[in-house]
Amino acid sequence: MITFRMNGLEVSAEEGWTILEAAKFYGLEIPTLCYYEGLTPYGGCRLCVVEIGEGTRAKLVSSCTYPVEEGLVVRTDTKRVIAARKMMIELMVSVAPGSKVLQDLASQFGVTQVRFEPRHEECILCGRCVRICAEQMDARAIGFHQRGYKTKISTPFDIRSETCRLCGACMYVCPACQLRCQGPQAETTLCNGCLTMDPTCLDYYDDLQCWMYDAGRCGTCVREKT
Amino acid sequence: MAEKKKLRIQDLAKIREKTRALTTIRGSEGRAKVTVHMGTCGIAAGAREVMEALLDEVRKNKVQDVIVATSGCAGLCNREPMATVEFKGQPPVKYVDLTPQKMRKIFAEHILCGRLVPDYALAIGSETVY
Amino acid sequence: MKQYRAHLLVCAGTGCVSCGAFKIKEALEKEIRKRKLQDEILVIATGCNGFCERGPILMVHPDGVFYQQLKVSDIPFLVEEHLIKGRPVKKLMYIPPEEKEPIPKMKDIEFFKHQRLIVLRNRGRIDPEKAEEYIAFDGYEAMGKALTEMKSEKIISEITASGLRGRGGAGFPTGKKWAAGRAAKGSPKYLICNGDEGDPGAFMDRSVLEADPHAILEGMVIGAKAVGAEKGFIYIRHEYPLALKRVEIAIRQARENGLLGEDILGTGFNFDLEIVQGAGAFVSGEETALIASVEGRIGMPRQRPPYPANKGLWGKPTVINNVETWATVPNIILRGAKWFSALGTKTSKGTKIFSLVGKINNTGLVEVPMGISLRDIVFGIGGGIPGGHEFKAVQIGGPSGGCIPAKLLDLPIDYESLTEAGAMMGSGGMIVMDDKTCMVDIAKYFLNFLRDESCGKCVSCREGTQRMWEIVKKITEGKGTEKDLEVLEEVARTCKDASLCGLGQTAANPVLTTLQYFRHEYEAHILDKRCPAGVCQALIRYVVVAEKCTGCQSCKNACPTQAIKGTLKDVHLIDQTKCIKCGACQEACRFEAIEAQREEAIQII
Repeated sequence: MITFRMNGLEVSAEEGWTILEAAKFYGLEIPTLCYYEGLTPYGGCRLCVVEIGEGTRAKLVSSCTYPVEEGLVVRTDTKRVIAARKMMIELMVSVAPGSKVLQDLASQFGVTQVRFEPRHEECILCGRCVRICAEQMDARAIGFHQRGYKTKISTPFDIRSETCRLCGACMYVCPACQLRCQGPQAETTLCNGCLTMDPTCLDYYDDLQCWMYDAGRCGTCVREKT
Repeated sequence: MAEKKKLRIQDLAKIREKTRALTTIRGSEGRAKVTVHMGTCGIAAGAREVMEALLDEVRKNKVQDVIVATSGCAGLCNREPMATVEFKGQPPVKYVDLTPQKMRKIFAEHILCGRLVPDYALAIGSETVY
Repeated sequence: MKQYRAHLLVCAGTGCVSCGAFKIKEALEKEIRKRKLQDEILVIATGCNGFCERGPILMVHPDGVFYQQLKVSDIPFLVEEHLIKGRPVKKLMYIPPEEKEPIPKMKDIEFFKHQRLIVLRNRGRIDPEKAEEYIAFDGYEAMGKALTEMKSEKIISEITASGLRGRGGAGFPTGKKWAAGRAAKGSPKYLICNGDEGDPGAFMDRSVLEADPHAILEGMVIGAKAVGAEKGFIYIRHEYPLALKRVEIAIRQARENGLLGEDILGTGFNFDLEIVQGAGAFVSGEETALIASVEGRIGMPRQRPPYPANKGLWGKPTVINNVETWATVPNIILRGAKWFSALGTKTSKGTKIFSLVGKINNTGLVEVPMGISLRDIVFGIGGGIPGGHEFKAVQIGGPSGGCIPAKLLDLPIDYESLTEAGAMMGSGGMIVMDDKTCMVDIAKYFLNFLRDESCGKCVSCREGTQRMWEIVKKITEGKGTEKDLEVLEEVARTCKDASLCGLGQTAANPVLTTLQYFRHEYEAHILDKRCPAGVCQALIRYVVVAEKCTGCQSCKNACPTQAIKGTLKDVHLIDQTKCIKCGACQEACRFEAIEAQREEAIQII
């Protein structure tokens, strides 16, 4: 057993656990996006960053990939962590405003402005689809092409794959195409409609609509804006 | 290295000895330096043959730490071919009216044994340069 | 061994080769054969001499005379005068700027005088394709000592005592890394040489690989004994064909002579090396990305821990070091840790190679002891700024580094002082900038490089560099607002904080240092819509300087939009409404009568 400190609490975890797994065990909430239980951690979305170490040597690391160490000092919600989280969400929403998962994260973490030119893409390169295809479905039909801002996910040479069994696992895990959001307006790209402290649908319905149906189906958040 | 023999530590030292000529020319000052003066007057008087004789002696005797250099006309054109022999830490010696045979004798006596050949020498020391 | 009376060392580093060094060598050999001197004079090609500004370069030994900027047509005269008549040719020697007298000997030239060659000790001195010449200058002596006289722990303690720090950029203590590699559990253990030099303007590793490949082989064998490895990889970027060729030859010769492979020097120690080629990605210089690349996977970094020393290549303990670090090792083992640690500063020992490029008189490669001031490098060795311009900043450490302004010129070069100033030692690239360089434009250039080279895995770097570039580009186009600076700083800080690997973590440095030291330039672009250095096209205006204009009409003819009016012999005028700021007029003018207006008030002629 490895003992370390998380948010001031002395905790212990098994060897080989990551900080995220230990946090989950102790009920500490850390937001994630590219993490998916059952798949190897990727560490790409940077939402799950936590601050480790102390003083001038403190730094941010992704909790989903960092293994627990004896004597580690972890803090899950510091100034740097919150600022980083908000910026990651802002950057991601500016890339794919049509994803309800991202819009929900924005509402949840108080991201109320997107100061970048929206790109209206479908993919945020979290890599979940690549990993599930490789690790769970054992097909390896899709992967990353190119690098940097030109990165995209596709089959080798963009041609129809013979190893793809059309299982749909990639679509199933995708946070961007999971739930489409009709809320966001083109200019602001940010909705903040549902999952806020004051959801619009409760004026019309008894239950919170987004949990029951597809996003925006009740139309109250969209209706409010138009 | 023509032989494909695998080297041992002692071989490294042997190679260093064998290639001392290389390191002398490119790095250190060598034990001695022989400058054959090869201005137009020198070449006309036969400095090339003197040079060839000198190099032949160097190779025959497998001398590794002597530098052979050329320079322009030394000024005393009627006594060409001329050569200056300099030992580290000693004043240079100018030899005049050389022939290939005289060069070989100077090599054997002065370069190898360190004995000046007074009959062929003009002077010891450098000119004063203002 | 055949004896020659003179050796002609033709510099054949990639820089000189691209200026025709091999043609010079051929011409020399031809002329020497013509004069029947082939048994007296040896011509060889060496690695880079470092004074790349002046290539093609030739060294004549034993005289020690330095010839530069040679043309094939110079060769017959040179052979006749210097090699036959013994009269070194003055007009082919180096003349310092502003002076008239040439300096014949290399050791007297300012550029070379102040350098202290350790890693580069064999540059310009040996034929890198002949193992024998490497051995002549004490090569493989250290390896022999390490394999026969020293225990692994002693080797590690010697390296630790020397204070050697990784020369790839991060400056991690090498002895510590080797100790971790030795202590790590797992087998087999691997060594990797990181030759994926990606920084624009950096060519230190290329020079060492081209000039003295055996030094790296020797260093790695010593490291293998220290750590307990049996196999190593030399990762060289694909864009260095000459380096690849020379290292291949060196490995082959070393194997043939029992200096590499099985039973090295008959001691029973086994270690072999393989070359792996990079495939055009800057990020593959990051150690975990490099490991992924060697394994055949996509070159994306992963988080550490676990560190490569514990779990690296194929999950086994792997010690990765930079080319320069490996090449330093034999020197330390041969001459002792005490000798090495006597050079440099308290925390940064030894020497470092810097590539001095940009707006500087003496462009090239220099090796200097740590602790030397920037001023000494720029104005002493570098010979100052050409064209009478003023020094503005020096960018150190490549795209991950930062810009150091004039007021910090007396900063000593060492890992800590550079990091404190906001820059980074990095690989050792030094790009000098003068008053005609726009710092916002520089930030834009480096951001463009980084967003192109980002691996794309983590959001903070991939999106961060892209958005930072967009904002800075906007500012250079005159469309920036004050809000943009706020957002820029925020993105920069987050990119630095939250990114996964060194590329992302340092990607913000060009922005942060230029904002710290040159904020006024950003503000001029935003508030005054003006580029003080006269670089950003959208923010300058071309005007004719009346006093210098002779009315020759060259500019008028060069202008693609007919924006210049004027008759022959009369002062011309540029119509700003038609001008597209292409600069063709300025290039065409032979009297320097066209200026890109910057600080001065706009003159209406």
